[in-house]
Amino acid sequence: MASNRPSGVDGPLFKRALLGSLSWLAANHEEANRLNVFPVPDGDTGTNMLLTLQSAVEDIKDSNAAEVSKIAKLASHGSLMGARGNSGVILSQIFRGFARAVEGKSSLTPRELAVAFEEAANAAYRAVNKPTEGTILTVAREAGRAATAAASEPDATVPSVIAAAAEGARAAVLKTPSQLQILREAGVVDAGGFGLQIILEGMLKTLEEADSMPARVPAAKAPVSQVALDLPEGGWGYCTEFLIEGTGLDVDAIRDRIEALGNSVLVVGEPELVKVHVHTDDPTRVIALAGRYGKLLKLNVGDMSTQHKRILESEAAGAKPPRANGVGLVTVVAGSGLVEIFRGLGVDAIVEGGQTMNPSTQDMLMAIESVPYDEVILLPNNRNVILAAKQVAGLTKKKVHILETHSVPQGVAAVVAFRADRSGAENVAAMKAEAERVQTIEVTHAVRDTRSNGLRVRKGDVIGLINEKLEFAGSDYAEVVNKALDKLGPDSYELVTVYRGAGASDDELKNLQTAIRANFPSLEVEVQQGGQQHYPFILSVE
Amino acid sequence: MAVKQRFAVVTDSTADLPDEWRDRYGIEVVPLKVLFGNETFRDRIDITDDEFFRRLATSTKLPTTSAPSPGEFADVFSRLAKDHDGCISIHIGAQLSATAEAARVGAQSVDGFKVNVIDSQTVTMPLAFLCRTAAECGTLEEATAAVEQRVPKCRVLALLDTFKYIEMGGRVNRAQAMIGTMLDVKPILLVADREIKSVDRVRTRSRAISRMVDFFRAEIPIEHVAVVHAQAPDEAEMIAADLRKTLPGLEIPIGQIGTVLATHTGPKALGLVYIKK
Repeated sequence: MASNRPSGVDGPLFKRALLGSLSWLAANHEEANRLNVFPVPDGDTGTNMLLTLQSAVEDIKDSNAAEVSKIAKLASHGSLMGARGNSGVILSQIFRGFARAVEGKSSLTPRELAVAFEEAANAAYRAVNKPTEGTILTVAREAGRAATAAASEPDATVPSVIAAAAEGARAAVLKTPSQLQILREAGVVDAGGFGLQIILEGMLKTLEEADSMPARVPAAKAPVSQVALDLPEGGWGYCTEFLIEGTGLDVDAIRDRIEALGNSVLVVGEPELVKVHVHTDDPTRVIALAGRYGKLLKLNVGDMSTQHKRILESEAAGAKPPRANGVGLVTVVAGSGLVEIFRGLGVDAIVEGGQTMNPSTQDMLMAIESVPYDEVILLPNNRNVILAAKQVAGLTKKKVHILETHSVPQGVAAVVAFRADRSGAENVAAMKAEAERVQTIEVTHAVRDTRSNGLRVRKGDVIGLINEKLEFAGSDYAEVVNKALDKLGPDSYELVTVYRGAGASDDELKNLQTAIRANFPSLEVEVQQGGQQHYPFILSVE
Repeated sequence: MAVKQRFAVVTDSTADLPDEWRDRYGIEVVPLKVLFGNETFRDRIDITDDEFFRRLATSTKLPTTSAPSPGEFADVFSRLAKDHDGCISIHIGAQLSATAEAARVGAQSVDGFKVNVIDSQTVTMPLAFLCRTAAECGTLEEATAAVEQRVPKCRVLALLDTFKYIEMGGRVNRAQAMIGTMLDVKPILLVADREIKSVDRVRTRSRAISRMVDFFRAEIPIEHVAVVHAQAPDEAEMIAADLRKTLPGLEIPIGQIGTVLATHTGPKALGLVYIKK
């Protein structure tokens, strides 16, 4: 048995550990989803983390690299490519910090493992603009500290360090309600932190099993989300993906060569390993070209016409005259009506997603690559998408501006302000100013009993949020909207645009319109079919 | 034999020429026409602005517009030939109307009378400013040179309350103006360089007005500016008062858009019209 006990963390062991994490998170992610802090339908933290980790594991599962550094680097890439939601993006940064810390190492001592955990947490803190305590960040830091403490014990082993990290994480998760009022009011622990705890526990379980038996391939596997682009007119029929393993690989040079052979090109990586993604009508040429650089791994060629459509390219993208400023617009939005509205305003590519379906960094990257401009303004239109959106900038040669819109009304206001005769930077400034000018009212139903912002809310209540903050609860849409408009002060505004969601009936819409017109005669009311899920009504007040 | 006067100035009704200027300079105004079904009205002669907008609001079919005929121009030129050596005939831009072409053809049928037809490339009060500039010149040649030099500098910045009318008139399409079909977006259009282009789009009227004024301020120095409107006198007055504060040397007249142009702009349109220096 002693021969099986790991003395250091090498490539194969780290890979097994991550497979174990994935398996344990797959079994527990619903629990993380249920730890939904805000009483709006946003219960996807666990799913986002699972999809992010899954993307990390996708990249390592076929690698036989002996060095922990290589596996860590692959996991870092994979997680970054698949990062979804805030917790997912932070998780990808944890992987990145870990990979940096273990660079050049073939195997880690318990002490080095603890240092890597601490570095991982530091990297995550650095990646976030305003780090908030009581979140996954705190949990990562406490896990790192506990690991370091354990590593300084004279009989420290790899399992003892990981066990300490997992225990440190668990203790930190339990403390999150004392650090974050919003958790305290809702009576839950932090979902992202809980997800990280599960990941560390999953590693530990694998190592404990390694004492007696070989690690199992995870049985429960969440579905891999499909990512594909619309087929452009006349070709690019095959989605071709692979890794190039070699030495001294020049990522930029490879990207240039691949770009000549197709579109939606994504070439990222390090001198030893490059990930290539391209839509091409001649995969054999791409493969032959890439083969000259090194060994190809994970080669996958898919006929795109059979793939599920996630990103909708503007139908006339090729036919439209080129824009004078050479700046493209990409937005994230869900709901058939809202998609049409953004298209009508000139958005070049739309990534489907939003509150409950956070698109991955890769979804957004591909949309950006699909736009025929070298400079792109990306509008996330949701707070939970912003962090993933921010990761895109470092992954493309294009100049990407992330305009941090938090809502559909902000996105519409920003896009309306876009002008083809202004530079990208000038547009961003003008669009930002317009987005900040508009007020957002979101109307939905509480998904559980909670207290928030001093308000007692019961499951099923109609709730009204002003600029993402829960302000009113009641039993009917018109009543909540009236209160919200009253709070905003109707005298300061002219126009209310009502985006009707998929869940709102004709009568409910009519009642709402009648109520607004009766109570606020000075406001103009415009109704649009938004078709969004979960929010019967979104209102833009400007 | 009567001593002939120097030269006459002719324009059309889309110049929105103030009555006072017309009387002072003796400028001839040839009306375009607006047609409600079978009924034809000469712009600003057969129908008042109030009557026009009342009919516009209640009519099931939108009115159409038409240029004066060459014959109508020939009549005017023949009359002027009796006591003038020639005339300058300054008209709505040829990209917007066939009026200038009608004037050219009409002039050919009046022998021995020199008519310099000017395609102003613009519409509404820049035309009025051009007429005044011409009238203040000593000779037809000087007037023609002064006007031709200013034609490329005329600008019309227009805020439409709705895209419906200009779209029906066929002068601008939504794609050009970057106006989607779903959302009610107010376009700010610029008439310049024989084109109508969208320079901005805004969702609320007060924002649109301030953006239009901002755009105009960036165009200073200018020689002349006027504020024109269709059924929006208070806002026009407010804009003019605001501009007078920062442009103290300029008169900044306020003009009302005639029925022919209003057929294409719809009610509540506002314009900042100017000639750049």
